[in-house]
This record gives sequence, structure tokens and C-alpha cells, in this order.
Amino acid sequence: MSGFKNVAVVACAQTELRTAWSSAQHVDLISSTVSNLLKGSGVRLPDVDFVIDSGSDVLDGRSISNCGFLGAMGAHHKEESRVEEDGLWAAVYGATKIAAGAAEIGLIIAYSKPSESDPSLFYSSQVEPFYQRPVGFDHLAASGIQAQQYLLQGGGREADFAKVTARAWKRASANPLVQVEAILSEDEIAASAHVAPPLRGAMMSRPLDGCVAILLASRNVADRISPRPAWITGMGSAMDNHAFAVRKPGRLEACEAAAKAAYRRSGIDPAKASLAEVSGSSAAGELMVLEALGLSRRGQGFEAYEGATAINLSGGALPADPIMATGLVRLAEAYRQLSQPADHGLSSPDTAIVHATGGVGMQTHCVVTLGV
Amino acid sequence: MLQAPDSYPIDRPPLKSTLSMPYTLTPGRAAGVFLAETKNRRLVGSRCGSSGLVCVPAQDFCPSSGGADMELVAAPHTGAITGFTQTRAGIIATIRIDGADFDFVHRIVGAEFAALKVGMRVEAVWAQTPTQSIMDIEGFRPAPDAPVGTIEPLGEAAEPLPMKPYHMDLHYEHAFGPFYGRMFDEIGTNRRLMGVRSTHIDGALLPPREVDDISYTKTGTWVTVPDTGTVRAMSVIHLEFKGQKEPPPYIYAEIQLDGAVTRLIHSIKGIDMSRASELVKPGTRVRAVWSDARTGSLSDISHFQPIPDDVEPTST
Repeated sequence: MSGFKNVAVVACAQTELRTAWSSAQHVDLISSTVSNLLKGSGVRLPDVDFVIDSGSDVLDGRSISNCGFLGAMGAHHKEESRVEEDGLWAAVYGATKIAAGAAEIGLIIAYSKPSESDPSLFYSSQVEPFYQRPVGFDHLAASGIQAQQYLLQGGGREADFAKVTARAWKRASANPLVQVEAILSEDEIAASAHVAPPLRGAMMSRPLDGCVAILLASRNVADRISPRPAWITGMGSAMDNHAFAVRKPGRLEACEAAAKAAYRRSGIDPAKASLAEVSGSSAAGELMVLEALGLSRRGQGFEAYEGATAINLSGGALPADPIMATGLVRLAEAYRQLSQPADHGLSSPDTAIVHATGGVGMQTHCVVTLGV
Repeated sequence: MLQAPDSYPIDRPPLKSTLSMPYTLTPGRAAGVFLAETKNRRLVGSRCGSSGLVCVPAQDFCPSSGGADMELVAAPHTGAITGFTQTRAGIIATIRIDGADFDFVHRIVGAEFAALKVGMRVEAVWAQTPTQSIMDIEGFRPAPDAPVGTIEPLGEAAEPLPMKPYHMDLHYEHAFGPFYGRMFDEIGTNRRLMGVRSTHIDGALLPPREVDDISYTKTGTWVTVPDTGTVRAMSVIHLEFKGQKEPPPYIYAEIQLDGAVTRLIHSIKGIDMSRASELVKPGTRVRAVWSDARTGSLSDISHFQPIPDDVEPTST
């Protein structure tokens, strides 16, 4: 592998992603996940130098919710930080600490229980309150307009929305970590009711409950923890304008910028990546992300699924969007695919692109590249 | 995977909770003037001194250059649709006001969704009664023949609206999970306080939990603790604040129940409140006074009250 061997993903653990974990509260999900992570890795909690966690106070229904979750996270009297962004940003933060030589092993946790509230209020709480919120502008409206602009100005095809959705749900149904009760066919998706035209109900990502945790390790110890560490070769993140209406229509410039930063560092050619795990908050969003990441040509998002790079073998975010944990789940999926390729029908994958997004109409983006 | 939560199925309905958040939002200069001028049926925009680009509605910072040198301008009431969709809130569109360089979002009114097209000319529909809100424009309606307007100097303008009261309610249904679930069931059903044994020190953890915070090993042995304990810290609350359950003054105390290694926060009553800080101190022995209600929550304990002349049991 070319590039840097400073920090690697060496272990991951995850609960099943369910429509509702009504039998468990946040701390139950978190402590079970972290316990399993440590057991599987052989790392003991005293070996962990820091804990960084991602979640949303608004979704959790309490302020500074990490304070109440510290014990469950294994962060008692440890260096702990909270990232109020998707867990992939927490992983970037942790990787930076290790790369700087400040630590050797970091525990990264992200969790979500959107079933406990109305996730549309989580998004509308992020909308500007003077000009936008009173109008009824929200994540759904932003996603609908974004999809329309992708068709009109980005050169996309509406028929691809049902295709990408059907593919994602089919993949997710084969993923033991995603609860899928019924799979909709492409025709059923294409005929379902509009929620924000041109988007139909099934074309929006489905919020799910769950928790994921990973261990990051320095080069001094990574090889001794994992038989196949996934080295972090590049990282980038970028944020677009908060006002949706002033962003560039039909494309995701912040995603392009995040990818550029990550690729510059790793020297990776996205077209030659073995696999990619990306997040889209709608079917149009997933296609736009694939284009912004350089995995397909402009307006030709769907061609990425037919290319050399294995895209979202997990099913991606459309069937399983544990808001704030979705991107860290992508990192865990990519790690599993790189470290146990045969389980995922891969022969000898050596590079992965991992992507997370957040905000109303996918305002923020984070890209991490991995190599083995 | 995740054995613990599933191994103790509980059927407690979730805990309903509402966060009711009052705000006094500060619009700042640009949005403040915009909101103050809607009653005059004027649409205020801003032009950046460095980029020359125009925002409608007005912003304090240029979305392109980030510059703060923004001159307020009067914008026309006409423009064109640049994108649209339909949600439960109605038809939401991005609109480019004539002469502006950026879009903004608003509603489309007086039109069928199917009849809309990107590029369609629209004009503002003003509300009859202004409320100093963006909704003083009810929305934009198709106006195919509306002449293309121009950005003009604002001239005399109203003082910016200094503050806008706002309110947000967030509703939750929190799962109890197996540990809190059993603890509250025992309180409601059996009037019994239960925790789990700590795995690093001799004593019970309340609330109970799957792993011991400090040793990070699995707990799991349930243990009953008495409803007597010792005050470890206390405060007499005199301040009034939002979300308070009772009028001040009252005592909040950290109480270590006998046999527990954790502290429980509850109120202490049954004393002459004028002598509160003299009668209740760290070390004061207290006993739970149970209420008649059985709700399966900590409020089933009405309060704690001092036990005169009692002595803390020595730990073994």
C-alpha cells in the first residue's frame, strides 16, 4: 500500500440497525456495543487513550447528552470529546490526534435513536429561523428541490431514483446488521406517493436506531490488534453555505471539496478504488455524492454501480440512516469489507472511499480513504 | 450481539417528555430591517461592497465573498422560479428576485403544482395583516406578464426589529431499557429501590446499568437498597427558573442511600425551611417519604425527610 501508515481502523462493533430499539435506551446500546468491541479486539479499556463520540442533543432530548453517557462509553476519567456531526467526523478527529503522536488507541462511538422523536423536527431545528423556517422550508423540501435541480441542471435521470433505491434495499436485506421487513421492487418504488416531488416516500433515507463503535490505532500497535488493519490514507471535510438556496444547484460542491482534500493526501484515483461506502439522504443525494466523489460522470450517477468499484455493498444510507452514526457505520462497513473480503464477495480489495453527510439538504460532507 | 437489552424484555410504555424551549431571537441589522419593513410592503435586500452581488432577502454577510460591507437596497416584488417541490407544508420554491444574484426559499400560492415550471415569472402576494415576519409575504404567485424589476436604493428605512420571540416544542418518547425499566417497575409496583452490584467496590449502583463505569465489567446482580440514606451535599434553592417543579425555597440534596455507592438527587422537606441550612447538612440522615401515587418514577418518593438522632451505619 502506498501513502501513510500512521493510523488504522483495527476493530469495529455495531448493533443491528432497527426501526426502533424500544427495549433499550441509549446507554444500553452504547455499553453493549463498546463491550463487544473491546472483547473482539483484545484491547482493554485502560489501553484506550481517548474517547470521541457523536450524537445529537436534539435527537437525544437532553442537553450535553454525552455527560450522561460517559460511563456507558467507557470514558470514565478519560479524555473525552463530543462531535456534534456524524461519527465519521469523530473518526477524523481521533485519527488526527493519533497521527499527531498524542495518543496510540482511540475509541470512536456514534449512536442514534431517532425513533424517540420526530426526525423532521431535528432537521427543522437546523433551519434558519427568520427567513426559512416560517415558510415551511425543511430537509424534505430541500431534498425535493435538490433532486429537481439535479435532473434539470445536473443532467440526472428521474428513472435512476427508483433504480438506486431498489438496489439499496436489496443490498440491505442481505446485510445482517440492518432490519428489513419488506423489500420494495423498483416498480413499486416508482409508483409510490410523492413526498417532495420528484422524490417519493421510499426515496428518502430511513432513520433507524443503533450504535456503532470503532477502534483507531497508531502504527506502533495496529498490526498487533488487527490481522488486517485498514490504514487511513486521506481525510477531508467541507461545509456548503447554510442557506440552501445559495448553493450551486444540481451538484454538491462541499462533497467535491472534501473528496479533493482526501484524494490529494492519499493519492488515490477514485475510479480505481476497490469499494466505496457513501451516505445519501435521498436517492438523488446518493447519485450526486457518487458524482462528487468522482465515481461516475456528471448526471450519470447510476453508472457507478456498474463500474469496477463496489458501491454500498451494505445497502448504504437509504434503507438505514441512524442519523449522526450513518457515516461511522460506513467506515465500519468498509473496514469489514477490506478485512474480510470473502464474506462480501470481494476478491482482493485494497482501497476504500468512505463518505458521510449531514445537515439540511446535505450541507456538510466528510470523506475518508482507506488502504490495506 | 447486544444480549443484555433483549434478555430482560420489559413492556413499560415509553417515557413521554417535552422540551419546551422559549427563545428571544436577535435578527441583527439586515434581517431586522427586512422584518421591520414588511409592514411597508417593501422587500429589503443587501448589496456586498466587495463582490457587488445582491442578496434578497437582506443578509449581513455576502454568501459569496463573506464580506460584511453590506448596503441595504430595495428589491422588486417580482422574480422567477428556479426550483420547486411540494411537501405537507405546501409548494416550496427557490425564487430569484429580479436583480438579485442569489435565490431564496418561499411558498408558491395561487397555482397548481402540475402547472409550475422552472423559469416561470412570479410576484409577491402580501398578507393583509403584517406580523413582522417573512410570512408578511404569503407567497409568490405566477405573474407571466410582470415586468422585470430592478434593485433600487433603499432610502429612509425603519429601525431594525431588535428581537423576535420564538418558541419550539420538541416531543420525545424515551425507551426505559431493561435496567431503568426494572428499577422504575420496582419503585411503582413494590415500593422498593433496586440497583445492581458494582464490580469494583462493595455497594450498589443506582441507577442500575449494564456495565460498571469504573471497572467496565458487566454488573448484573440486582440488589435492594433501603430507603434511608445520608445527605452528602445540599443546597437551598431560592432562585426561580423555567422548568422548576415547585416554588422556592426548597432543598435539593445529593443523598447516598445506605448500601449504595452512588448518589441520588431529591428534595428534602418536613422541616422548618427558615432553618434549612442549619437542619440539613452533609451527614444528615434522611428517609424517603413515599407519595400515594404509583407512577413508577422517582416522583413516587414525595421527598426525603431528616431522621433525628440517627447514625449512619458503618460500612463493612
